Amino acid sequence: MTIAASRQEIKLMAHLMRRAGFGATIGELEARAAKGYAATVEEMLHPGEAGDIPQDIIRRYHVDQSELRQPFSAAGNWVYRMVTSANPLEERLALFFHGLFATGYTKLNQARALLNQIEMFRRHGFGPFDTLLIELSKDPAMLLWLDNNENHNGHINENYGRELLELFSMGIGNYSEDDIKEASRAFTGWTLGNVDYMAMRAMKDSIWPYSRIAWHFNFDEGDHDEGEKTFLGETGNFNGEDIVKIICKQDAAAQFICTRLFQFFAADEVTENGQVCIDEMKRSYFESNYEIRTVLRTLFNSSYFKSDEARYARVKGPVELVVGAVRTAGSYTKPTLGVDDVAQQAFFMGQGLLNPPTVEGWHEGDEWIDSGALVERVNFVANELSNPDQPGVRTIINRLTENNESGVTAEQLVDDCLEAMGSLDVSRDTLNVLHDHVAGIEKATDDKNELGSRIAELLGLIGASREYQLA
Amino acid sequence: MATQTATQHLKYDRTLGYAAMDARGFYYPVSLTIRPDGQMFIQGRSHDGDTRGARITVMDYESNYGGDFGSYGSNDGQFTWPTDIAVDSDNNLYVADEYLQRISKFDREVNFVNKWGVKGSGPGQINGPAGLTLDSEDNLYVSDHRNGRIQVFTTDGEFIRAFGSAGDGVGQLNLPWGITVAPGGDLFVADWRNDRIQRFTTEGQFVRTYGESGSGDGQLNRPASVAVDEDGYLYIADWANERVQILDPDGCFVQKIYGEATDSVWAQDYLDSNPDEKGARSQSDLEQYHLLDTDDPHEIASHIEPIFWSPICVELFDDKLFILERNRHRIQVYKKNN
Repeated sequence: MTIAASRQEIKLMAHLMRRAGFGATIGELEARAAKGYAATVEEMLHPGEAGDIPQDIIRRYHVDQSELRQPFSAAGNWVYRMVTSANPLEERLALFFHGLFATGYTKLNQARALLNQIEMFRRHGFGPFDTLLIELSKDPAMLLWLDNNENHNGHINENYGRELLELFSMGIGNYSEDDIKEASRAFTGWTLGNVDYMAMRAMKDSIWPYSRIAWHFNFDEGDHDEGEKTFLGETGNFNGEDIVKIICKQDAAAQFICTRLFQFFAADEVTENGQVCIDEMKRSYFESNYEIRTVLRTLFNSSYFKSDEARYARVKGPVELVVGAVRTAGSYTKPTLGVDDVAQQAFFMGQGLLNPPTVEGWHEGDEWIDSGALVERVNFVANELSNPDQPGVRTIINRLTENNESGVTAEQLVDDCLEAMGSLDVSRDTLNVLHDHVAGIEKATDDKNELGSRIAELLGLIGASREYQLA
Repeated sequence: MATQTATQHLKYDRTLGYAAMDARGFYYPVSLTIRPDGQMFIQGRSHDGDTRGARITVMDYESNYGGDFGSYGSNDGQFTWPTDIAVDSDNNLYVADEYLQRISKFDREVNFVNKWGVKGSGPGQINGPAGLTLDSEDNLYVSDHRNGRIQVFTTDGEFIRAFGSAGDGVGQLNLPWGITVAPGGDLFVADWRNDRIQRFTTEGQFVRTYGESGSGDGQLNRPASVAVDEDGYLYIADWANERVQILDPDGCFVQKIYGEATDSVWAQDYLDSNPDEKGARSQSDLEQYHLLDTDDPHEIASHIEPIFWSPICVELFDDKLFILERNRHRIQVYKKNN
């Protein structure tokens, strides 16, 4: 016998799905709550078949998503995945690492390499942090993005070594300039196949004669510095893998990655209670040999994460916002014109997928919201959710019109819509606006078409609310 | 990788074309057809983000450029998601568009003549026209792919008959793509998502199937196009296996080819004009299989330039097989060993 979940359990599940996923409608929340919170966390930490649109289908219709050379083509391909995947945490985590290890199209002119990097995040994102950093150091897009192709034995280029320490693993203040140099020496010879030709074509944005050739890692043994190095107090004939393993042993690395995960999944600001949670995550980091899955398990099951303090404590990023609205609307579940535009809308809101502004990634939190971006955000979400022809919107309308045979009040209808969209909580001011919009709805409830239209309007209005901008 | 059998049925000849959104070249080409005088018409699809390549390029086997026509859009003579092009005995051209749900007709001077098509599943209505071919009496066959059937029209768009249904049973079709009427008179259909070729009489009677799902010899993975010669040999664009397979008239495996592209005349012209790229290219090994860590044919093809990447259309002309590659924007030509 299935016991119906309590309202508190639904609310908690809604919170989890806004953070570990892209939100969920009430039907999904009820199903997940019936399995239980901890079981849902485990399921999300162990992604199975994504069940997304098969790539052969996408490639047949979107010819550019077969070649994946251009940024909006590749971004559109990822949007399809995010919108239709049964493993939203896998995509959220890939999005997290995409922002953390920000690699962009602007310099590379090769979107396939970027999407291959995203796929690498899916393969290794839940695993040990040292494995992920080693794969990142071999990633062709990263190698060219941070000039490791110019890092030669006897003539080091410090760009990758510096950013590895500063932006990807420890942060300023935890290493010396000499450590950067020694790390860079260890990564000499880590390059691409046919590097000169590939770098030249990237620089010239040349697609000739037969379009791009995908990049692959090549260890050039003859260009690797085999000499002794001293790095973070240890001395030896280190290569890049040794450098990463030394990094991951540091408390600074644990503090760095756990804090960044906390800020992405739990709260933009780290309060005193938040730091307690981060300390728990750090213990899990070391006890599990740096496994991200274990760290996330600790986070999602923590009392902090479940607390009221953590709820609606993050501003949704543009991609998160757009994908969440599209998933609720049920649009873009099969190849069609316009998916590129979904990615472009996120770009207009300040987050160009596969094209972060710099290696520092995006400035998140409140900085997502400026007046221009806010208009874009509100318009996009309202348009998606107020369209009764969208399958997801139609499902909500059908559910609510069936449940409201006659005489539904404005208050009840607003409550039902908020619940249907993912058990959302809104302020009293927002509630008043929503109630006013459907005042007198009792008279319309005998007309299903009229009621459906009003529900669609209400969904759009909720999507335009302040609270919908938060997760 | 370019594995060949001891007695090769086909032998590599040359590469034609290169990537270009205007003038010489083509951009995401999806189909080609060849007139009896040897003029080739290559349908470019381009893509939503840059529509300049949605046009038809005209050229010949010797790389002489014959101009282009058509453009992206939904007006008469324009294309949005073109899928196939075919030529009739009067040298009129027909273009299918799976987004606009229509067939467009052009005369021998490539002037737009008319168009037809209404979305639906009733007789004469279409849902995703994906492949075109004509028989010896100029009846036009259309693979109506989302309806899982073949429809037959006159060259003026008058509905004649339809056959087939959606499914994976005998004679059923799952998102069929390329089609051809063989010299012997039967219709061969690339039954794309059923991983097989199906053969029908032109009246729609099922004859037999060729191939099954897989990547072994004689097996298919999403075949996109098929051509049949006078002797009954089948040439199949084994799209997701990134290869072309040849089967004998009994359906037995004969040969598989993976492509071995060289610089086309137009490619050589480009490289001669860009000596820095030419120099770096000449120093490169474009077949670095040893550095790849994947067995996915699509991914391998993205790294190895000479081999087929998205072989989408096969066309026989004289003793040659023309293989169109959508992702490499070129044609590889093989000759029969007589």
